Amino acid sequence: MSAVPTSASTSNFLSDITNSSVIVKLNNGFEYHGVLSSIDGFMNIVLENSIEMVGSKEIRKYNELFVRGNNVMYIASQ
Amino acid sequence: MSEDHSVITDVATGTSELDIGASIPSVLPLELIDKSIGSKIWAIMSDFHEFVGTLVGFDDFVNIILSDVTEYDVARKVVCKRSKLLLSSRNLAMLVPEGKGPEI
Repeated sequence: MSAVPTSASTSNFLSDITNSSVIVKLNNGFEYHGVLSSIDGFMNIVLENSIEMVGSKEIRKYNELFVRGNNVMYIASQ
Repeated sequence: MSEDHSVITDVATGTSELDIGASIPSVLPLELIDKSIGSKIWAIMSDFHEFVGTLVGFDDFVNIILSDVTEYDVARKVVCKRSKLLLSSRNLAMLVPEGKGPEI
């Protein structure tokens, strides 16, 4: 399904964390705390009810948000 | 320059220490990472971020899964903990097995 090859461990992790609370950190330092609704092999991500954080400061809220995969540094389970 | 090459080439086996393409290295680069699965590893990014955690797995692009992670922002001297994460290979520079992490 995904556009790039994934090993069992990475695809298992992604299926484990879909529909649960995650932290997505971008290369520019921004963090998005929300519910992971979808992810693909490019690490394109759709988050629901996400909060934009810079450092420990809350900046904005989004009901639904698409993050382009090239910006993603990591996806962590919360 | 050509003299140096001729000294090392082994005619009998057809292999040369300098010619990486013709000989099979004893340990492939990704074998080192594969052997580190289940143990501590230290990931150093090209942007002053470092991660220390237990290596769960990795894919063809060396995107890596870490558990019990400590994240170090070396430039800002910020440390934080994550339980499990998928680290993108986009800015990954180095992986150090048995890594102790940075002194911050």
